[in-house]
This record gives sequence, structure tokens and C-alpha cells, in this order.
Amino acid sequence: MTSSIKLITVQAAYDDFLNRSLSKISCDLARLIYLASTRDYNTGSYHHDGLASRFNPEVAAKALEIAHRQIFYQLSAYSLEELVEQLKTYFDSSHESAEEILRTWQKLEPYRIAIPVEVNPAVARLFLSNVRLALAIWRSRQDQAQSPPRP
Amino acid sequence: MISIPAAFLICTVAVLSIGVFVWREASVRREFSRPSDHSGLDDDAAELLYCPPEFVARVFSPDDCKFVSSARSRQLNQLFRRERKVVALVWVYQTKLAIRRVMREHTRVTRQSQDLHFATEAQLVLSYMQLILVCNLLCLAIQSAGPARLGTLANYADSLSQRIAQARHGLAVATSSAELRGVNPLS
Repeated sequence: MTSSIKLITVQAAYDDFLNRSLSKISCDLARLIYLASTRDYNTGSYHHDGLASRFNPEVAAKALEIAHRQIFYQLSAYSLEELVEQLKTYFDSSHESAEEILRTWQKLEPYRIAIPVEVNPAVARLFLSNVRLALAIWRSRQDQAQSPPRP
Repeated sequence: MISIPAAFLICTVAVLSIGVFVWREASVRREFSRPSDHSGLDDDAAELLYCPPEFVARVFSPDDCKFVSSARSRQLNQLFRRERKVVALVWVYQTKLAIRRVMREHTRVTRQSQDLHFATEAQLVLSYMQLILVCNLLCLAIQSAGPARLGTLANYADSLSQRIAQARHGLAVATSSAELRGVNPLS
């Protein structure tokens, strides 16, 4: 396959994935988590059964990798206010309690593994820092809502 | 004329400032090399230099600071200031590191090249020194006041580093194609 044909196929796979899967996910944060889950922990390679069967595993993996990086950079550019909203949407769309997810996220920091491999280190650091801050803001709001009003 | 106690005080402040600066620089270096934060030092210069344009605007903008302040929580404010300071310092350190690598690579190429243009080389070195100076200034300013109001200086450093990388790339392309043809690329 020549490089230009391959590029067109990757673009087609990317568009297909965007329309069929990503557009149905509630927010960018959930999209990032979903994309990170298509990556093998040991090899770092991406896999998606549906996409691989419609195109081929190599093209599907490349399309997933690009989509992952793109969503990551998009999220990293969000303001803290927007990121707190993303967290709210993500927590609301989950079947678990928001309090439980918040506790787990603050303790284990699972969002660390949502970072693509080949990204700018400073942007990766900003992303981690922003999520940490957004969680702290969310926690502070929860605490304020639960504390009894002052007389 | 400065009195001896005043001179002693100035010297102490200067030594302490340098100590704090070196300590912060070392902690940023440690932060930057933490593998868990995806901040490997072995990334190549091109990757380190590619930073989305929104990045500088986000880190050095006062918007997030205003948002956090509206929560009226001292703990949150402290956490925000600490986190942003580290991110900003990591970016400055990364910019310095990337541009040093670009210049090292350029020096390596120019050593082997026979067609050097003095004015262009001098301009490149001057821009490099200017960038390192701006980065050091940024480091001091971030450490003392935080990154929220340093957007202009950070943007300047960002554009300067991009210009140096582009100029170095342009020179490398011109030199290699001229050497292939056997002519001076800059004459």
C-alpha cells in the first residue's frame, strides 16, 4: 500500500470511528477514557474489533492513535471551569455514585494512564495538573453542599 | 557608599536567591524526569518543541486563577498556585532543553560544513542567547509571582524558540542541498 493511499484509508477509518463510536459518547473526558481503553497496557498498541474488521488492524490502530492524541490535546486546552463541567458530565453518565468515583480518582489517579504516548511532556503535565485541580474543586463543592448552613 | 551591614545583607539575599533558584531548578528537573508524568528527557527536540498554541495561553492566563479564587478556598488557591507554577516551570525548562538540543545539533552540522555564513550564524547565536536569558527571567518571575501575568513574556519566548528551530531547519536544508550541488547556499 503506498503512503498516500494508506493516509486516505487512515482518514476514512478515523472518520468512521468518529461517526460510529465517538459521537455517541457524552463528553470529551469520556471519549479520552474510552480511547485509552482501546490501547494494550503491555504493548501500547491500539485495537478495536469493529474498526479493524471494516478496515484492517494496522489502519484501525493508527486511526485510534490519532483520535486519542487529538482528544487529549483538545481536553488539555480546556479551562478549569470547562474541565469541571466535563467531570460532572462524566460522573453523571456513569452508573456508579459520583462520590465513589471522586474518591477513587483522587486516590488512584487512574486518569494518568489516559495520556497518549507521544505527546508533549509539558502538555501531559498540564493535563494531570488540571484534572487534579478539577477534582479538588469538585470535592470542595461537595463538601460545601454537605456542610450545614451557618446561622 | 554602602555600609558593611548593608553589603552583608545584600550578599546574603543574593546568595539565598541563587540558592532558591538552584533548588527550584533542580526540583523542576526532577519533576520533568518523572516517568509517571510522561516527561521523559529522551524525547527528541522536535517533539519537545511542538506545543499547541493554546498551551501558553492556558498556563499563563489569569482566567483559571479567577475561577479558582471564586471558590473562596485557601487550600484550593494554594494547590492551584503550586500546580500552575510547576507546569509553567516545566514548560520553560522544556523550551530551554529543546533549544539547547537544536543548537547542539546545529553546532555538530556546522563543524562539518564548509559553507558558513558568519552573519547568519551570529544572528542564530544571538537569538539563542536572548531566548536563554528570557527563559531564565521567566523562571525567576514564575517563582516569585506565579505565571498568571507573564503571558506576553511567555509568548515571546515561545515565538523565539519556534523561530530558532525554523531558522536552524532552513539552514540545515540549504546546507545539505548546497553541499549536494557543491555551491554556497547563502551566497
